Amino acid sequence: MSVATTERVVGLNAPPRAARKSAVGANAEQRRLWTPGTNDSNRRVEVFYARPHMSADASFSPHDYTTVDYNGKVPVEHLDYGYIEKCKDVKYLEKILKVLRSGKEGIYPQLINFCESHLEKLNPRSRALRKENSVVTAASLSKDEWSQVADELKIWQEETKQRDKSLQLHPISDDVVNKNMPPIRGSNCFVALSQNSNLKEKRESLKCVLPRDYREWDKFDVEEECEKIDGGQMVQSSAIINTGHSEIKTQLDVSLLMQEEKRLLANREKDKGNEAFKAKDYEEAVAYYSRSLSIIPSVAAFNNRAQAEINLKHWHNAMRDCQSVLQLEPGNVKALLRRATVHKHMGDSQLAAADLRMVLMEEPLNAAATQLLSEIEKKLIKCQPEEQRRGKKILIQEMEVEDSNSNHGTEQKVCPVEPSQPVGGEDGSAAPAEKGDMGNAQKKPHGRGDGGPHSESNSHHGHWKGKGGSSDKYKASQEAKDKEANGTSKRGSTASVQADQSGGSKGTLLGGSAGETVNLDAPCGALPPPLARLKNEGNLLFKNGQFADALEKYSHAIQGYTESGIDSPEDLCILYSNRAACYLKDGNSQDCIQDCTKALELQPFSLKPLLRRAMAYETLERYRKAYVDYKTVLQIDTSVQAAHDSVNRITRLLIEQDGPEWRENLPEIPLVPLSAQQHHIKEPPSAEVLQARAEKAARDAERKAEVLFTALKQEGNDFVKKGQHQDALGKYTECLKIKPEECVIYTNRALCYLKLERFTEAKQDCDAALKLEPTNKKAFYRRALANKGLKDYLACSSDLQEVLQQDPNVQEAEKELEEVTVLLRQSLADASSAKPRRTVPIIEIDGDEQSSCTGEDISINLHPTNSQEFGQALNAACSGKNTAACADLLASTDPQLLPQYLSTYLNGHTISFIMQALDSHLLEKDPNLVYQHLSYLHSTDRFSVVLMMLPKEEHHHMTQLFERLSAAESTEYTKNDVQNLANKYI
Amino acid sequence: MRSAEMSSPLAKPQIIAHIQKSLNYTVFDSKWIPCSAKFVCLGNFARGTGVMQIYEVQHGEAQLIKEVEKPKPIKCGTFGATSLQQRHIATGDFDGNLNIWNLEMPELPVYTAKAHKEIINSIDGVGGLGIGDGAPEIVTGSRDGTVKVWDPRQKDSPVANMEPIEGETKRDCWTVAFGHAFNDQDRCVCAGYDNGDIKLFDLRNMSVRWETNIKNGVCCVEFDRKDINMNKLVTTSLEGKFHVFDMRTQHPTKGFASVSEKAHKSTIWQVRHLPQNRDIFMTAGGAGNLHLWKYEYPAQRCKKDSNGVDVGVAGSISLLQNATLSSQPIASLDWSPDKQGLCVCSSFDQSVRVLIVTKLNVV
Repeated sequence: MSVATTERVVGLNAPPRAARKSAVGANAEQRRLWTPGTNDSNRRVEVFYARPHMSADASFSPHDYTTVDYNGKVPVEHLDYGYIEKCKDVKYLEKILKVLRSGKEGIYPQLINFCESHLEKLNPRSRALRKENSVVTAASLSKDEWSQVADELKIWQEETKQRDKSLQLHPISDDVVNKNMPPIRGSNCFVALSQNSNLKEKRESLKCVLPRDYREWDKFDVEEECEKIDGGQMVQSSAIINTGHSEIKTQLDVSLLMQEEKRLLANREKDKGNEAFKAKDYEEAVAYYSRSLSIIPSVAAFNNRAQAEINLKHWHNAMRDCQSVLQLEPGNVKALLRRATVHKHMGDSQLAAADLRMVLMEEPLNAAATQLLSEIEKKLIKCQPEEQRRGKKILIQEMEVEDSNSNHGTEQKVCPVEPSQPVGGEDGSAAPAEKGDMGNAQKKPHGRGDGGPHSESNSHHGHWKGKGGSSDKYKASQEAKDKEANGTSKRGSTASVQADQSGGSKGTLLGGSAGETVNLDAPCGALPPPLARLKNEGNLLFKNGQFADALEKYSHAIQGYTESGIDSPEDLCILYSNRAACYLKDGNSQDCIQDCTKALELQPFSLKPLLRRAMAYETLERYRKAYVDYKTVLQIDTSVQAAHDSVNRITRLLIEQDGPEWRENLPEIPLVPLSAQQHHIKEPPSAEVLQARAEKAARDAERKAEVLFTALKQEGNDFVKKGQHQDALGKYTECLKIKPEECVIYTNRALCYLKLERFTEAKQDCDAALKLEPTNKKAFYRRALANKGLKDYLACSSDLQEVLQQDPNVQEAEKELEEVTVLLRQSLADASSAKPRRTVPIIEIDGDEQSSCTGEDISINLHPTNSQEFGQALNAACSGKNTAACADLLASTDPQLLPQYLSTYLNGHTISFIMQALDSHLLEKDPNLVYQHLSYLHSTDRFSVVLMMLPKEEHHHMTQLFERLSAAESTEYTKNDVQNLANKYI
Repeated sequence: MRSAEMSSPLAKPQIIAHIQKSLNYTVFDSKWIPCSAKFVCLGNFARGTGVMQIYEVQHGEAQLIKEVEKPKPIKCGTFGATSLQQRHIATGDFDGNLNIWNLEMPELPVYTAKAHKEIINSIDGVGGLGIGDGAPEIVTGSRDGTVKVWDPRQKDSPVANMEPIEGETKRDCWTVAFGHAFNDQDRCVCAGYDNGDIKLFDLRNMSVRWETNIKNGVCCVEFDRKDINMNKLVTTSLEGKFHVFDMRTQHPTKGFASVSEKAHKSTIWQVRHLPQNRDIFMTAGGAGNLHLWKYEYPAQRCKKDSNGVDVGVAGSISLLQNATLSSQPIASLDWSPDKQGLCVCSSFDQSVRVLIVTKLNVV
């Protein structure tokens, strides 16, 4: 038993866990441990051999394990706290645990637990640790935990019920389903079960075998044959790798599916993508995300695909996906982070930094963003001194500076500098494709391409930093970058050179030298001084590369502008354009585009905003739009080299993307009016340009209206055919709102009115139609019917006569005429009035289109804009003896224009009629107007002749008029004036 | 250990028995109706007739909605080849009949075929529910030793028939599964037999693409997903072992790499992959227990062997959770395709259970 005693000592000296137990307990347990062991002499021996090791050396050497016999039984003394504690052999521990659990050596729950926990420390995934758990029930969960689970389930049940119902509501016929399905497989193909009997395959039934399947059989045989020919070698070297991403269709036809199904499917495909992603099959993941997106585009799928593309190093695709996300959900942190990664890898540290800062604004604690940003910053800083050693950068100032100050001719001109194009130079600025801060126009760098990423953050940084006094890290890099743009040397060949008066021929960065005095209060266009100052400050900041600060200034200026209510679109345009430049520099392409668009709304076809927008679009890989903008730029000024380059590059890209029909997918390229072309250098966009733009807008609107119009008209016609005149009426009325000049619609609507027995309106419509098309037969005929309905038989018969004169074959007209003539006679007989006789227009029907309107007395255009309209209106009023209408007409006519309007219509009738109108309606209301009319009326051509022809009684009327006029009191004329005037008439 | 267990439940998935329903018949199969909170139970009455029941999960209970009795006991069913709009279930019965039922009107089948001479042990479908491009097809495996593929648009005859050539001994086919249906031409059927044979039929080439033997009767085979390039295949066996094959790389002689695990002390009747995550699957054992597993991919799924030929590398498997539900075998298991973690299982103690497995999204 001495053994046992020693053992106990070891046990007591064992580490805390063992020692924690009461010594008594441990002793008792160990004693029990030993009792069965004593029976086995073999084991005893073993024990004795093992003992000295343990007591002599507490820490096991690897040598000890070799003595462990895995196959044999576990010696009983190993079932001990101390031994287990020190044992590092997982397999052996598992064995010990098994023995302990089996209970053959007695049951020691604490020792089992101890052994388990020790084993878990060594290998948490050991199979021996697996325990059978009984199933958990709601009762064994905490209340919170269960209620969460239960609530989730409840919500799901309710949702699912709805979905279930909606699915049941849309039973789809089998035919529709089948239409979209692949054909049935070749019928009853037989496959032998053993692999080597492949070749004995036979088709049992030929029924329903489709050609496709024959081909498949053929194909199979060919492959088989090939393999046979190639022999064993072939077999050796042909592991089959199942990674056929290319065979996965990335587009799904879901046209027949319901929304619910699409949603499920899109989710499912996305899940598949996620799984493939987890298994690092990025290409497959991309394929499945694409499938998901082809069903329903979602932010998550775009985002995930972006990440997969990043992992595949497909930067452009990744960028496109990030942009898609940001379009759907601006400010999406994941997308920003991913875009930053893409930017970083494409060498756009600036843009990457900008994105990361945006992320950090949203989520200040985002560790990934912080880390990436610090990496980028380090890189940028590293790059700078290196570049300082390098040669000068030669840059081409592509465009003139658009600032309206540019013609000040002073050296201090401060203005944003266009993204410029590096040409050669040691450092080359040759970041690989898509250098965002270069406005992205330099995808094909002219430099040698050895610049590597970040080469654009350039040399003279220290200089600027000192000057600007802003030592912010980000700014430092921006400043540095700006320098590149600023250190402009002109390229003689560019047409636009003239405008760049800064820096100029010095070729280095003299233009922006610190010592330069900048007149911040230099006037800027029509801007009030405070705004001008803001703008100049912005310009200076921009020049210094403090884009964010410049941006702020411009924003203030824009705000100030809108508040001040100045009307100077040119200045606002420049402000927007400048701010766009800041955005572009900051890599904020979206806002850049917005500002450019605003600028272009103000000043269509201005070069800079167009170019900036093009660059921004290109950055966003919206190549089509970029292409259109570049093309527009080239229309304005063909000498913009950057635009040429970009157009070429984008063309290639688009051909790659869309194939030979790429042009078909392009949006329309606006036609630049001549006035806007080439003149951009000298003058700000003129009113003509504005007009051109307005015209274009009008054209567009017209086109849209045309479509709508046709649709409405068709609907109207359909209603007429169905006899639903009231509905048709509505459609036609809408038509006329779009196009008030459409004769057919008037006649059609007139028909509806006729059917609805609304004769007055019908007549008005006919009148309108005739105004537009004075020989419209239908209009005449329908007006005749309307007149008949209004019991104006005379007008009716004259209209009918007109119809018959134009086309004697209209039998309906003839019939109507007969009928109406009878009616007319009756009415004449009834009424003693001879009035109609005078206005029977037959005498006037002599092919003169104007005269055909004489029958009108209701629809009078009271606002004539030319002589013809006036004449028509006057005739209408005259023939209807409608002095009131005539008075209204005169009231709305400028007296000065009266002679001009009246000249061709002047005759005795009209004069006396006008006199009557003036006398009976206007004189009381507005004697001044009457006076004025009269004072101009007599200056009409042929007035005196016509006056002479007037019958006596008319002269009498006139005299009365003048008497009354002089009686009416007015400040504008005296009695003498009236007398003088009267003398001219009488 | 205990304290460790107390702290871990937060991170570990839990298998919660939500609903238990005792039935008056032997239930062989239970399946969720897609896009619903309903499931179907298939089985046989003691009097020797078949039964099909529809239950709906409501207020923490499974409510019987419909029950129809059929002349023959029904062994298995699948929704795999139906559209979401129709949701017809295809079943195989003891007499070798393949029937397709409209659950709205389950009195008469919408399709019926005398598919096999003996009991249909297993059935699977693909091409429906948006799972798998290509034609809707049903595969049946029977005791008569044949595996047949059916297109519900074609009456009476199968579109493919896989049977032993004359003279070969017919083995009892216990399980069938579709896979590799990632475009409209490729498609594979995997079948497991009572002698431990596993055969992979390539339906595009109409050939046996691969076969192996796992020494013990194959109770269940399932691809991790049917509608992707075949990725993983899990096969379970009679003596409690299961194998996970990496199906991406097929070595000309070694075939597919695999990892095996013995967890149950008894037959593993079923294996089902989580529809929302193909790397998590549950096995159901003969001792009434469920094991939830996770497969982890190796760093490199493919390497070169000594001859420079690609050979697959199997990953590892870890046990996420297990639970003992019953003393009788769990014969069927089905995850809800719509609600992650919801599953239904039936066992030979004549009861069906609805389980909730939590925290699957954080595994």
